[in-house]
Amino acid sequence: MAEMDAVHDAHNEHPTTTIREYLLIGLVLSVITAIELVMSLYTTALGAILIPGLLIFSAIKFIIVVAMFMHLKFDSIRFTQIFAFGFVLAASLLTAVVVLFGIDASDAIGGGFIGDPIEHHD
Amino acid sequence: MSAATHETEHHTSLGVDNRKLLMWIFLASECLFFGSLLSTYLIFKGESLSGPGTDIFAFEITSISTFVLLMSSLSMVLAVYGAQHGQLGLMKLMLLITILLGLTFLGFQVYEFKTFASEGLTLSTNQFGASFFVLTGTHGCHVGVGVIYLTSLLISSVRRNGIGKETPLYIDIGGLYWHFVDIVWIVLFTVVYLIPAY
Repeated sequence: MAEMDAVHDAHNEHPTTTIREYLLIGLVLSVITAIELVMSLYTTALGAILIPGLLIFSAIKFIIVVAMFMHLKFDSIRFTQIFAFGFVLAASLLTAVVVLFGIDASDAIGGGFIGDPIEHHD
Repeated sequence: MSAATHETEHHTSLGVDNRKLLMWIFLASECLFFGSLLSTYLIFKGESLSGPGTDIFAFEITSISTFVLLMSSLSMVLAVYGAQHGQLGLMKLMLLITILLGLTFLGFQVYEFKTFASEGLTLSTNQFGASFFVLTGTHGCHVGVGVIYLTSLLISSVRRNGIGKETPLYIDIGGLYWHFVDIVWIVLFTVVYLIPAY
C-alpha cells in the first residue's frame, strides 16, 4: 500500500519547470519554425536533404511539445504508453496506405508494378 | 505538492486519474483519425486532372498562423502552471490569451480558405481540394472546439472566486487537448505546406 501511495504521489507531483524555462522552450520552438521556413525557401539548393531535414525538425518540435508542454516527461509512464500506441498505429497506417496507393498508376503499369500485359501465343 | 492536489486524489488500479487517462486515450484515437485524413491527402494531392494544385499555397501567411498556434501552446502551458501553483490571475490571463490566439488562428484559416476559393480551389474542384479542405478543416474544427472548451474553463474560473479543488486538473486536461491540436498542426504544416510534391 505504501508503495502504491508513493507511485500515486509521484504521478501527482507538478512539473518542476519554471516560467523562464517554458519561455525558453517557446523560443526554441519559434526558432525551429523559422529554420523550417527558411529551408522551404531554398528547395533546390538543399536538394535531397530538404525533406528529411524538415521531417526531423518537425519531429523535434513534436517531441518538445509532448514531453514538456503536455508533461509526458514528468507524468505517469501509462500515459506515454497509451499515446505512443495510438501514434505508432497512426504512423503505420499512414505509411501503409501511402505505400500501397501512392504509386503512380502510369509508373506502375509502365514500370512493371502491375506487370506487362499477358502475351497470348496462339 | 499543493493542498489542491491532495484533495483531488482518488486511488485507481492504474494509479492515475481516470479523467486524465480518458483524455489520453481520446488523444491516442485522434492520432488515428488525423493519420487516415493525412494519408488520404498524400494520396490525392498529385492526382488532380483539373484546377489548382499545391502551387496555390502561400505559406508566408500559414507560417504566421503556425507561429500563433505555437505561442498559444506556450500561453496554455503557463495557464496550467498558474493553476497548479495557485496563481489565479496568471491562469485567467493565460487562458484568455490562448483563446484569443486560437481565434486568430481560425481567422487566418478562414482567410486562407476564402483566398483559395476565389482562386478556384474549393471542396468540389478536384481530389486535392477535397482532401486538403477536409484535412485542414477538420483541424480547424478541433481548434474551434478547443476555443469553446477553454472559454468554458475561463468562465467557470471567473464565476468561482479562487482556484477550486479540481481546477488544476481540469485546466491540465484542457491543456492536453489544446497541445494535441498544436502538435497535429506541427505535422500538417510540415507535410502539407513545407514539403513540396513528393
